Amino acid sequence: MSEKTSATDADPKLVGRLLAIIGKEGIIPPDKLQLDAGLDTLGVQSADVIVILLAIEEEFGVYIPVDSDLAEAKTIGDMVSALARHISAATPDQ
Amino acid sequence: MPDRIAITGMGAVTAVGVGADALWDAAREGRSGVKALKFPEHERLRVKIAAHLFDIDIAKYHERGNPLLLDRFSALALIAANEACKQAGIVPGAAGERCGVIIGSGIGGISAIEEGVRQYYMDCGRENPMLVPRVMTNAAASQVSIKYGAKGPSFCVSSACSSGAQSIGLGMSLIRAGMIDCAIVGGAEALISPATLRSWELLRVLSPTACRPFSAKRDGMVLGEGAAVLVIETERSAQRRGAPCIAELAGYGSTSDAGDILRPDPEGARRSIEMAIADAGLDATEIGYVNAHGTGTVLNDVSEAKALKVVFGAALNRTAVSSTKPIHGHALGAAGSIELVVALRSLLDQIAPPTINWLGPDPAYELDPVPHRARPIETDAVLSNSFAFGGINASLVVRRWS
Repeated sequence: MSEKTSATDADPKLVGRLLAIIGKEGIIPPDKLQLDAGLDTLGVQSADVIVILLAIEEEFGVYIPVDSDLAEAKTIGDMVSALARHISAATPDQ
Repeated sequence: MPDRIAITGMGAVTAVGVGADALWDAAREGRSGVKALKFPEHERLRVKIAAHLFDIDIAKYHERGNPLLLDRFSALALIAANEACKQAGIVPGAAGERCGVIIGSGIGGISAIEEGVRQYYMDCGRENPMLVPRVMTNAAASQVSIKYGAKGPSFCVSSACSSGAQSIGLGMSLIRAGMIDCAIVGGAEALISPATLRSWELLRVLSPTACRPFSAKRDGMVLGEGAAVLVIETERSAQRRGAPCIAELAGYGSTSDAGDILRPDPEGARRSIEMAIADAGLDATEIGYVNAHGTGTVLNDVSEAKALKVVFGAALNRTAVSSTKPIHGHALGAAGSIELVVALRSLLDQIAPPTINWLGPDPAYELDPVPHRARPIETDAVLSNSFAFGGINASLVVRRWS
């Protein structure tokens, strides 16, 4: 997993935007939206991920399949870092 | 002992060309039909690839057909049926009352739906008065029935990605039940239009890069289109007509997960595979090649690999398993029939076609998917799997004719 950056390595502004999208589209209460919170614990299901990815496409113009490294995400932090990697790779100037 | 069911004709049209030979040559050589999309209006699409038949001149194959009446999926079904019926010695108009037609399709005439909706709401262009008979999912089966004079039951099985396999299995069941002696069976799908492709994008199951079944770093499926059709009949019917018995359609299994609408369940897949092998009167160790459903999505491939491991056990190391979806794309309702043609040719030539685009093993399971290059096999029986959204599983077994 050495090629992966942790969520904290991503640009804090980007992390903030991603958390806002995940919270809104995944309907996660703000007090529970922590990087170490488990997706299963929060009840984030595959249908929620699909909606989150639609919102990501709307905001960043980036297509991310559910079957990317996102499929391995276990926590909010894993999801944020996977999304950040895709967005940074697709839009280097973001 | 009931009459064996013979496969006496096969035909296919896919992104790698017209004909079962074109399909098999590409599958064996690992040559992909996935191409950059060619749409005049695809700005909103993020995924830019599909196994798209954009260079086929469909009109060339239907000199007498009314283009207003024939949707693309029906036209593809007719092209495949023409090849299969020619091989089986069925001439147009002559199939008769004891011959049925079952052509599956997941969506049916989607291009006609899109055309009609656009014309109605945008008020553009002359409207097509034949939208209804073009759109209906049974249009392909009906067109084939009309052309070949097949007057037994004709209908469409629409069960998403299992449509093609279930159509073949159901045709076999009707013959076994004595309702008909012969059936023209298969699947047809033509849904690579911008708006439909977008709906698959929205589900985020499409890979933006490449279809890599059973591979590390796989990231989804690549859509395809096409059709494949078989002629199947009792041994007696084949002998009476002097048709060639190419192979035996020996086993059919189908199950439902009764679980999640999208997420596959290895248990449902296992039961389907076991049912087909048992129906053929075989043991798993006698299956020498499996044409896997192998979509290249994370979930399907894990689920299918687990199911195969349970059914085959230690014998899985000696059974060639590959997915040819990177070659012809995931043709949805046509997939099961296209892949049965590949499995059948693999049996006849004793060669397992490769899984291309493979980058290395997925640590989640043990499976050698015949990466990159075809491999010789020695076997009398092969299996083809189809697993659909809705939790619908279907498996078919073909055995060497002896």
